[in-house]
Amino acid sequence: MIGFLHPWALAGLAAAAIPVLLHLLARREPPTVVFPAVRYLITTTREHQRRLKLQNLLLLLLRTLLIVALVMAAAGPTLPLRGVPGHAPGALVLILDNSPSSGAMVAGSPRLAQLRSAARAVLARATPEDAVWLITAEGVPQRGDSRALADQVGALTVSPRRLDLGAAITAADEVLAPESRPGGIVLLTDLQASAVTPAQPKAPLVVGRPSDPPPPNAGIARLATGAQPWSSDGGRITVSLAGDSGAAIPLVARLDRRPQRQALARVGAAATLALPGAPSGWWTVTAELGPDELRADDQRISAVRVAAVAGVSCSAAERYVAAACGVLESNRRITRGDEITLGRLGPRSSVVEPPADPAALGALNRALAARGVTWRYGALTLAPTSTDSGAAVGRVRVLRRYRLESAASGRTGVIATAGGDPWLVRSGDVVLLGSRLDPAWTELPVSAGFMPFMDLLLNRLARGEVSLGEGSPGDPIPVPDLVTTVRQGEREWRVEGGGSFRPAEVGAYYLLSGRDTLGAISANLDPRETLLRPEPDAQIRRLWRGAQVVALPDAAGLAFASGALGDLRGPFLWLALALGLGEMALAAGRRRDR
Amino acid sequence: MTRFARLDLLDPLEVARLGGIEVTTEGVVEGFLSGLHRSPRRGFSVEFAEHRMYQPGDELRYVDWKILGRNDRLYVKQYEEETNLRAMAVLDVSRSMAWTGAPETVLPKLDYARRLVAALSLVLLRQRDAIGLIAFDDEVRRIVPPRARLSHWRQLVQTLAELEAGQGTAAEPALRRVVDQLRRRGLVVFVSDLLLDRALALTALRFLRHRGHQVLVLHLLDPGEVDLAGPAEARFEDPETREAVVLRPRDWAGAYRETLRQVIGEWRLACRRHGIHYHQVITTTPFGTVLREALAPAPATRAG
Repeated sequence: MIGFLHPWALAGLAAAAIPVLLHLLARREPPTVVFPAVRYLITTTREHQRRLKLQNLLLLLLRTLLIVALVMAAAGPTLPLRGVPGHAPGALVLILDNSPSSGAMVAGSPRLAQLRSAARAVLARATPEDAVWLITAEGVPQRGDSRALADQVGALTVSPRRLDLGAAITAADEVLAPESRPGGIVLLTDLQASAVTPAQPKAPLVVGRPSDPPPPNAGIARLATGAQPWSSDGGRITVSLAGDSGAAIPLVARLDRRPQRQALARVGAAATLALPGAPSGWWTVTAELGPDELRADDQRISAVRVAAVAGVSCSAAERYVAAACGVLESNRRITRGDEITLGRLGPRSSVVEPPADPAALGALNRALAARGVTWRYGALTLAPTSTDSGAAVGRVRVLRRYRLESAASGRTGVIATAGGDPWLVRSGDVVLLGSRLDPAWTELPVSAGFMPFMDLLLNRLARGEVSLGEGSPGDPIPVPDLVTTVRQGEREWRVEGGGSFRPAEVGAYYLLSGRDTLGAISANLDPRETLLRPEPDAQIRRLWRGAQVVALPDAAGLAFASGALGDLRGPFLWLALALGLGEMALAAGRRRDR
Repeated sequence: MTRFARLDLLDPLEVARLGGIEVTTEGVVEGFLSGLHRSPRRGFSVEFAEHRMYQPGDELRYVDWKILGRNDRLYVKQYEEETNLRAMAVLDVSRSMAWTGAPETVLPKLDYARRLVAALSLVLLRQRDAIGLIAFDDEVRRIVPPRARLSHWRQLVQTLAELEAGQGTAAEPALRRVVDQLRRRGLVVFVSDLLLDRALALTALRFLRHRGHQVLVLHLLDPGEVDLAGPAEARFEDPETREAVVLRPRDWAGAYRETLRQVIGEWRLACRRHGIHYHQVITTTPFGTVLREALAPAPATRAG
């Protein structure tokens, strides 16, 4: 049975009607020409009519068949080579899904073991003439001979990286694109629904999937450590669970090696645990569930910074600022002290508001310059505007503001803007506000976000930003400008500030600038890996057109299937060439007759 | 041009544009005769022709007594008949003769034939030969008995000028009417496009040959009849019979040329077989060229 690699091209067969249509369209009532020697014409046609009709019919047939042959060649016809051992040289991309979900234990053995076994069977079918690539959760196609790749498959472990199956299929297609040999893709996967994304495979795709269902599973989807830094009194974490296990699961959390806290958690609910205090510094928080069939998602790690709350010198003259300081103090987010001066330029860290009296602005600018601050207060702007939405402030209305002008080149240190101009900036240990924290200047003091803003302003912005990044292994996570080194335990990586860092494994990574720790990155499994529910076969066929979904042990039998098909494109092209030459010869013969 | 050029060698259409048949034909004949090195007079003379063995019944006055005295054998002298040539032009004026494939550049066959017959007549009359005319289409239209007076030419030309294309073509009755006009052996010039019943026409021509006449067939062909052309596809219609055929000239030009070649070959062969002189005349051929071929001394032919 003839198959087609590009069956949509068969729509071009409609073009075969073109010669017939042209012939029919060309037929019309011809003009009359008076011609005395009609008797000779009648004699002539009587003798040649049959031959000419035959020639015309043959030409029409040749032209129609020529179009049919070209369309067939474009559709990539293939013919199964029955009774022929082995297969013609082919190209194969083997995608082996060793994402975290493949670590699930099924019937006493990890899912990955089944996948590896099927992968080795596929590779065993390869011959030295075949080109074979292997794509794993690492995402990089690796070419090698079948023996080396089989060894690699044998040593393959569960990767902490998620594998986007649609992206992997697209990558496989790109690998096969330049190949002249018939190509194919074999995907061996647990078909986790969350990993299936749409793709349009160009090469024949065989999907090998386990026939047994996945086990019920629950995992930690999120570990939230709340506002940072934590005080030395400790802090609270919130743990969210995902999965399809309905039972209550024991949850344990601890700050580094300090005494752990326990709770019972359920899928779909969040558990909040209070962790005890610790001395100032960076600490690792670990939350862990009771073991189930997939262990990789039972633990989640995060980094927290513990520091004494800021000692703030608040100006009692400013009503709203004073009230905010009182609330923060009562909530132990700040203490009274001289670590941070709020409202004016102090001897240490300062949050500076513009003076109420414009006459004092010059003196303030001079003091800022003397302090080495690269920002100045510029002209007063009375046009109402809004802050541009951002993490620091959100969107609030600004009624009056001073333009903040940078004395240095560029606009480094801008934390928030209003109407496109810098409105909240930082230079060294000084934070400058473009407006006074007064409703006459901005609506921020009377908005709901005022207290979080003040907490952020005093505990993080004024004391130095704490950078906390999150991501999954393999994902690029941005690092702040000043970071030079990333450290995890004893291991260190040199990085370029402002770039990104890809954590290879699950864990907490600290961002260093010299000896100072500027922040941390928490790398944990992609929470989608927790959901082991497989995608139904029908959905797979809909998302990946032409895919053959088979049981894992059957995948090897279908590998190199395109190589076991006789490619009929060549014969059809040769046929088209012969038909074209025949048409040219016949047409030339007719021209000679004329 | 008219003063210095030889009209017999000009394109027939150009000659026709110079004036009426009478004027231009005289010019053609003047040019034609001035180009000849000897008289085109055909081989009728009073000279001795040959000896042959005496056969019982021969008149004794033709016995060559000198040979009898020398060799003791009876031979008789044979002489060519001493007479002026009497000729009849038999002109086809059927509808097909009025056709030309290119009216702007080529004379219709009938106009060409009128001038050709007029020129031929003038040449013969100047030799004191007699010539007459029979015009026919599907029946005999005009008969001008042969006369040898030079003034007879005016009558011939007038008759030719008055002729108009008729309908069909029936050559046999016209050719048989020649016998009434030529009591003695003479010359019959049959001018036609030969789009007629060949068998009947050949029968009549053979009949004339049997009656001892020399027969000259001038087969007129328009260039448009030689090379088939026209629109991509056309309905070709016979002006006489209204028979029609639809075809694409480009597809059929080659085969048509072959058919025409066969038709001409068959006419030529049939004529040669019966001692008839056949000339194919394309209507763009200068009149002088045709006259030269038509009036060239005929090879010896077996009389009647």
